[in-house]
Amino acid sequence: MPLADALSFLPGLATVVAEPAEDAAALRRLAEWCSRYSPWTAPDGTDGVRVEITGSAHLWGGEAALAANLMARLDRRHIATRIAIADTLGAAWATAHFAEGKSPIILPPEGCRAALAPLPVEALRLDPATAQGLRRVGLKRVGDLYAMPRAALARRFGESVARRLDQAQDDQPEPLSPLGEAPTRRVRLSFAEPISDPADLLRATERLVADLVPRLAGEGTGARRLDLVFHRVDGRVERIRLGTARPSRDPRHLVALFKERLDTVDPGLGIEDVILAAFAVEPLPSEQIGLPGHPAGNEASGIAPLLDRLGNRLGLAALSRLDPRASHIPERASVRVPVGSVHSRAHVAQAPDKPPRPIRMFEPPEPVEAFWLLPDDPPFRFTWRRRWHRVTRADGPERIADEWWRPEGSGTVDAIRDYYRVEDEGGRRFWLFRAGLHGGDRKPRWFVHGVFS
Amino acid sequence: MIERTLLPELRERIRRIERPTAAIHGVLPFSIAAIDRVLPGGGLARGALHEILGAGGDEEDGALAAAFAAGILGRLAAQKSLAGDGMVLWCLPRPDLYGPGLAAHGLDPAHLVLVRAPRDAEILWAMEEGLRAPGIAAVVGEVGTLAAVASRRLQLAAERSGITAFLLRRWRDGGQAARERNLPNAAVTRWRIAAVPSQPLWGEPGVGRPRWRVEILRCRGGEPACWEVEEADATGHVSLAAALADRPAAPVPAEKFRRAG
Repeated sequence: MPLADALSFLPGLATVVAEPAEDAAALRRLAEWCSRYSPWTAPDGTDGVRVEITGSAHLWGGEAALAANLMARLDRRHIATRIAIADTLGAAWATAHFAEGKSPIILPPEGCRAALAPLPVEALRLDPATAQGLRRVGLKRVGDLYAMPRAALARRFGESVARRLDQAQDDQPEPLSPLGEAPTRRVRLSFAEPISDPADLLRATERLVADLVPRLAGEGTGARRLDLVFHRVDGRVERIRLGTARPSRDPRHLVALFKERLDTVDPGLGIEDVILAAFAVEPLPSEQIGLPGHPAGNEASGIAPLLDRLGNRLGLAALSRLDPRASHIPERASVRVPVGSVHSRAHVAQAPDKPPRPIRMFEPPEPVEAFWLLPDDPPFRFTWRRRWHRVTRADGPERIADEWWRPEGSGTVDAIRDYYRVEDEGGRRFWLFRAGLHGGDRKPRWFVHGVFS
Repeated sequence: MIERTLLPELRERIRRIERPTAAIHGVLPFSIAAIDRVLPGGGLARGALHEILGAGGDEEDGALAAAFAAGILGRLAAQKSLAGDGMVLWCLPRPDLYGPGLAAHGLDPAHLVLVRAPRDAEILWAMEEGLRAPGIAAVVGEVGTLAAVASRRLQLAAERSGITAFLLRRWRDGGQAARERNLPNAAVTRWRIAAVPSQPLWGEPGVGRPRWRVEILRCRGGEPACWEVEEADATGHVSLAAALADRPAAPVPAEKFRRAG
């Protein structure tokens, strides 16, 4: 019904502009908040949240207690809910949306088939056209479909009916893709009374880290990424995300990393739950403790705490190492690799009479305006960064052709480059190259690729 | 009674105040008599902050400053790695260092950790963190603007840990360079490296062996000086340019000399 018609029937009608994007964001926040019950949560359509509570219900004293807790908390926030717990996602959805009775509804294990039978066919999450088609031939309840031969159903209404039926009855799996990545290890701390003091937050962090570390140690692993999630009383979620350069399970180190960032957490009216989750767990064998005067570990472990501190302020992507590679293309001969990766120490064979390489290289090469006489001559002068250089001496050319055997090779760089090392009047030395050949379709272009010392 | 114990202690303290860094952490000699003679203690002080400027168009790129630093860093890292660690932390706004070029000046890229930070304040912070960490041989930072207080902090941190720190000045443009160049800071030495046209080899055309003009503009406890040198080789050593060098092919070992007498 158009809004104008509705207003003509009921002049005092209160109207609110629909904001689907805002609604979706709010639903997503709600799903995130539900992660206090289980790490596997996701928004469902436009009006629901799915939570996979297998294995986590006992932490709340059973499914009934979990549902009661969830409902009480949502009531407090004035969110009207229908909660259903069932063996399958499909059955829970159908029960929550269509079943009679007071929420929360908990279906007994293996009880899906019986519970779904009296519900209308729409409860199977079918598209409206299919549901209408089923109704037209007199199949009004889910139970009516049980007796139907599958082949006939699929032929008449498409395979979605059979699939939904199977999913609701656990004959066909339906995976839940969680909002965030599911953590490998997760520890949780709840408070009867919300906390907001920074010192309390730090103590909570210490407790959680102390809880997590023995589990990692028992498995011989260390965490590369950690999430510390604070659930506020008002339902908002604050989080600190950490990355480490090397797998770590050193409690002092981890607490120190969290401590630096704790002041970014806004506790609001108080925090009632803190969850520490470890992602990207990697093997970390036990290490020999150093003797006095003989520090333990290798060189990388000595500076790992430093790298983590730097990485957590500047981002781990800001840290890198230079790794030599066997390649003729200058930009591929030395690549930046993440600092966590093991240095290849590849022995790259270096020809003894290899022409010198610049100390700084520009990525991408900077175009210059150059003037030259003969096809194979270096330029006698060029303009770079609005400054004019007269070339007094030059070495070259050194021809570097593209690595045709690489699929990504062609196109990313000009196929043939002639490099020259030139010196200007002041003694500054540049690495210039000419891309393209004379007599080709395009005029050759010149670039500065680097500067020598 | 009190004076007898107090006086030597005070003398020691005054001595430390007067020549703090070289006395505490030792020096790294250049192995060139003309340069080492000028520097207090006979070499570059370890556990101190050194400032290196590029000159003659190199203010923006800092290639000469980086190459000069790479030679020193390579030798620092090599000495430290005998004991186990020898990582060099190099903090820079844009990672344009090229591994083969560094290796040619004596710094093995395997010893290098690059830290990219867009702002000067973050680079200074990262340097200070590096100066407090074990397992670091040296810390390098490329900064444009530098407050005197920030340099003082770095110098104190370097003195405390014995890690040598280098500030490479890299300026956006000539204007910033002119403003910043002469501001005082707490670095122990201030070097300026400029390119000099290379000397052709045996009259052949082409670029000869690259040469630098190395100047000490400021040196605590030493005199300003200037040399022309050939660029650092793969062992990280610079050498006096041929025109100036006047030294025997191999130095006579002092020990042998004494015995003969």
